[in-house]
Amino acid sequence: QYKPLTPCAASSESPPFVCVYAAGEHAALHRQRSLPHRPPVIPLVARMADQNTSGTPAMTEREASRLDKFKQLLAGPNTDLEELRKLSWSGIPRQVRPITWKLLSGYLPANAERRDSVLQRKRQEYFGFIQQYYDSRNDEHHQDTYRQIHIDIPRTNPLIPLFQQASVQEIFERILFIWAIRHPASGYVQGINDLVTPFFVVYVFEYIEEEVENFDVSSLKEEALRNIEADSFWCMSKLLDGIQDNYTFAQPGIQRKVKALEELVSRIDESVHRHMQQYEVEYLQFAFRWMNNLLMRELPLRCTIRLWDTYQAEPEGFSHFHLYVCAAFLVRWRKEILEERDFQGLMILLQNLPTMHWGNEEVSVLLAEAYRLKFAFADAPNHYKR
Amino acid sequence: MQNNHQKEHLYKILVIGDLGVGKTSIIKRYVHHNFSPNYRATIGVDFALKVLNWDQETVRLQLWDIAGQERFGNMTRVYYREAMGAFIVFDVTRPASFEAITKWKEDLDSKLTLANGKHVATVLLANKCDQGRDVLTNNGIKMEQFCQDNGFVGWFETSAKENINIDEAANCLVKHIIASENDMLQSEVPDTITPQLEKDKGGTCSSCFRSQ
Repeated sequence: QYKPLTPCAASSESPPFVCVYAAGEHAALHRQRSLPHRPPVIPLVARMADQNTSGTPAMTEREASRLDKFKQLLAGPNTDLEELRKLSWSGIPRQVRPITWKLLSGYLPANAERRDSVLQRKRQEYFGFIQQYYDSRNDEHHQDTYRQIHIDIPRTNPLIPLFQQASVQEIFERILFIWAIRHPASGYVQGINDLVTPFFVVYVFEYIEEEVENFDVSSLKEEALRNIEADSFWCMSKLLDGIQDNYTFAQPGIQRKVKALEELVSRIDESVHRHMQQYEVEYLQFAFRWMNNLLMRELPLRCTIRLWDTYQAEPEGFSHFHLYVCAAFLVRWRKEILEERDFQGLMILLQNLPTMHWGNEEVSVLLAEAYRLKFAFADAPNHYKR
Repeated sequence: MQNNHQKEHLYKILVIGDLGVGKTSIIKRYVHHNFSPNYRATIGVDFALKVLNWDQETVRLQLWDIAGQERFGNMTRVYYREAMGAFIVFDVTRPASFEAITKWKEDLDSKLTLANGKHVATVLLANKCDQGRDVLTNNGIKMEQFCQDNGFVGWFETSAKENINIDEAANCLVKHIIASENDMLQSEVPDTITPQLEKDKGGTCSSCFRSQ
């Protein structure tokens, strides 16, 4: 029980700190350092969504040519989805992201002529659900669900003014409540609220040119806002259809993926794996959130949107490829991980990974590494079984 | 030889209770000395560390902030392992969160016992007391009775926002953890004559309660 250790200079003046005991070193050498803190302000959504022009106001030639390719592909009467996937894998230009996401998720048909009628029908269907079910939110058998959603909505993206607007919060409540009662096997699970956000932001961009972060949605026409709501609902539903066992009883999808992550990491970086074992860090203690929220809590929103370009381009992106992204993400921090010399330090590092300055470039590197891992291990599952 | 003054105690403490009752806020207040209305819902478990000087010894508290939603309930067994103490938190403005207290206590006791078979020391926190006391009966005696009946070692009205009673509650819990640890250490050495400890009547400890 008692560990004879040199006591840490516990100071109440500098609250967030960790003491790191370097093995075999003098007590005087133990260092005190600041924690890798979450950013006090979530990076701007506007810059986030504007991936392909970030930093440079004018598009580079390469970006312009990529946008042209997208436009050509989207202009035809029948969009070649396979081509669109290939093109989207390395990121979708902001201007064509809304339609591309809708096509890749299967919400919109490849046939251009049919799109308007499909959109109209789906939007009507969604608002039919609202009429039919939304009043039941205060009924006895639904009020727990509604109450939980109601508590979580104000604290979804709490630092972005866009999401503090009452009408936006009401949209999120409706989307989540309808989804939850139509999927009783899982119901509302915390984390699903986060998953609406990228769709909502991307679909708002269909109607505005300016920055989205401080955008006042009341300046949108009512119809536009209704379209954004319905489209977000259906695309979120499509996404969740593919990962529903993440959220059913006992969350078997997450349990399985965390286990698979552990096996994979033990194969690709044994020293990281052993280091975590040595200090008794369990993957479930940090990677549960990685799976439950698809890394959204670990990355700025702009990076999540970029990541989802690829997830939608990749077959089984959310349900399968995500595992390789998580493995690449963990190993990305191997240096920092190996420097930590106790359980506390490791856990605090792994739950507060310093990604606040991440942008396109870091995500691209991560995705490339994930792709390499998938190529090496996915089709040979025994490779990553010990 | 080992110097007593350099002893270090490491305790794992759980913070549990329904979603949105303020578990994360309490921990942030306790560890980082600040409050924000902007914490996102905890997913799985969040981890924090607090170091105390306690009778010239160092006490390190591993605080495990456990997500409150029931869906995550089957995970709690993993998180509870080897904990030495717990806070169970409810929101004084939400009766349902108080009603869930016994459920959380049962969950804890059924999944976690100390080496000597006893339950871990648990302190009840009536949080958001700055926002009114709707759930509380305004009657400390009833709460004391509730604590006795349900095996809590004490209870506090807390406010993470206004910094009310957070340190006091933590000190109370640490004191009980140390007492139960001593208890266990002594029972491990049957040949030693042990002076009779003052018996905790029903587990409550008057010094834990607010003086007023």
